[in-house]
Amino acid sequence: MSLPVPKNETTTVRPVWFAVWPIARTALHLVFRRKLFWLLFAVASMSFLFMFGAIYLLATLRQQFPQVEKLLTNMLKDLDGSGTTYLNFMLAQGTVTMILLAFAGSVLAGNDHSRGGLMFYLSRRIGIIHYALGKLLAIGLLISLTTTLPALVLFLEYGLLGEPGDYFSEKYGIAFGIVGYGALLSVAVGLLLLALVSWMPRPVPLVMLWGGLFVFLPVLSEILSDEFDNSHWGLLNFWRDVYILGSRCFGEVDELFEGATGVVAGVSVCSIIAILFRLRQLQHRS
Amino acid sequence: MTLERPATTESSPLVEVRNASKWFGPLMALNGISLEIGPGITGLVGPNGAGKTTLLKLLTGQSQASLGEIQVCGHDAWLAKAKAHVGFCPYGDATWDELSGRRLVRVTAGLHGFTGAEARRRTESVLETVGMADRADRPVRTYSKGMRQRIKLGQALVHDPDLLVLDEPLNGIDPVGREGLGDLFLRLAKAGKAVLISSHILNEMDHLADHILFVCRGKLLASGSLETIRDVLDDYPLKMRISCAAPRRVAPQLMALESVKSVTVQPPEDLFLEVQNPNRFYAEFGEFATAHDVDVHRLKATDTSAEAVFDYLMERASRPE
Repeated sequence: MSLPVPKNETTTVRPVWFAVWPIARTALHLVFRRKLFWLLFAVASMSFLFMFGAIYLLATLRQQFPQVEKLLTNMLKDLDGSGTTYLNFMLAQGTVTMILLAFAGSVLAGNDHSRGGLMFYLSRRIGIIHYALGKLLAIGLLISLTTTLPALVLFLEYGLLGEPGDYFSEKYGIAFGIVGYGALLSVAVGLLLLALVSWMPRPVPLVMLWGGLFVFLPVLSEILSDEFDNSHWGLLNFWRDVYILGSRCFGEVDELFEGATGVVAGVSVCSIIAILFRLRQLQHRS
Repeated sequence: MTLERPATTESSPLVEVRNASKWFGPLMALNGISLEIGPGITGLVGPNGAGKTTLLKLLTGQSQASLGEIQVCGHDAWLAKAKAHVGFCPYGDATWDELSGRRLVRVTAGLHGFTGAEARRRTESVLETVGMADRADRPVRTYSKGMRQRIKLGQALVHDPDLLVLDEPLNGIDPVGREGLGDLFLRLAKAGKAVLISSHILNEMDHLADHILFVCRGKLLASGSLETIRDVLDDYPLKMRISCAAPRRVAPQLMALESVKSVTVQPPEDLFLEVQNPNRFYAEFGEFATAHDVDVHRLKATDTSAEAVFDYLMERASRPE
């Protein structure tokens, strides 16, 4: 019988941390097989395509009618190529990204908990930390696919269609801002999603809870802010909180920055505790 | 309680379990189990809820013993070093339904730290070994039970482990599939691997295991070679059903056999027997049927379930010497 490797043969084995990638890749593979994912991704891409087309149109108009440049810049402040352009784009992607994550959550990690996949992973040389990091990486990449990556493409487009040398040399900080905000989104939202999926692996309750957090709470926060004339109620909107922190990556400081930092940090720490506690519980249950 | 000390193999054991206990809240799943596992096929037999899966979880490092020590190839089973020596074939496979067999094995290779060409080489090699190379591109959900077991075996073998742990690998497999898998297990054992097969059916281990571990209610009840276990079961009171012509005539004659404790006639052709020593009964009955010209249509043991055997072993072990 042919066994994989003769006993006297030595092979190089990568450190255990590299096992995070196959975990993430498998989770993404399972999500990409869903038609619903591609439908939602198409919806998410519409906003990107609109922005892409608008930037192209603007650049063409600027080239052909230089005299209207000032007028166009004043009319379309959101498309002036500054950090705000990309910041607002990533904020606008929030709704569809949240819907995407709500449906993908169960596939990304929930099925492992309800169908015994966790046992499979933990019988390998990895621990719950590696497992959780693999899943977080998958969620992070999914978030980046609808926020960070398109924002970077728009940044490149804006630079290349204008004066590339000047734009990239003067505004290279924007690229770091996009990556920073994207990383923040991936970590904060990823931790929250994984924590919820760990405790609520089935899709329907997860979608309902996720919807409550990212649809009901923002609406509630607006009503309460208006009612009590206190902007701190706005902190109930988690996506907005991450946006406030992310805007710091573009050099902008919001008056609610400290409050938002507290909320995001608190939610993240609670999520980490919830994830580890749940995974330990699942690992040691009968 | 243990009826005999666990047999040690000629070489040093790959697995050493010393006084391992595991409890989940108030439930004691394992109670002070000590055993050793060496190369060859070892059957872990016990009724449902006996603690087999818990023991497998401890051996494969998925869970940690509440008390006691578990060593695999000289390392604590809980550590990554030990897990590198263990290949686990889980009972369930629902999680992998959507992946192709080939991808599942590749993922496992990646989890064990193999990438690129090496991962591909190992994947193809194990797929060849388990006889799935030509069917590995289909999703796992389209596989038969036997094919699923083969793919799961493939992913367990991809890092060339010394210890293979198989959770109920023959459950639901048809006789042809069983034979094929049995051959595969024997070949792996011949290649020097320790193969631990859990099952709740004692008879499954008949032609496979050269060492049996009986677990019941969280305890190791008996361990040893199949012959040793058979000796222990010599006095096992077995219930038999015999279908023959003229059962009323045969019944009193059967009572004359030493191994037969009672006979109940159920017309038109059935006899229900309680026998004391199955091995002696089979020998006596053969001679009896020939001598009395009994036309036997069917002979079947009706309570060979693991539960019945374990109840007997429990009762026997608690008897004063």
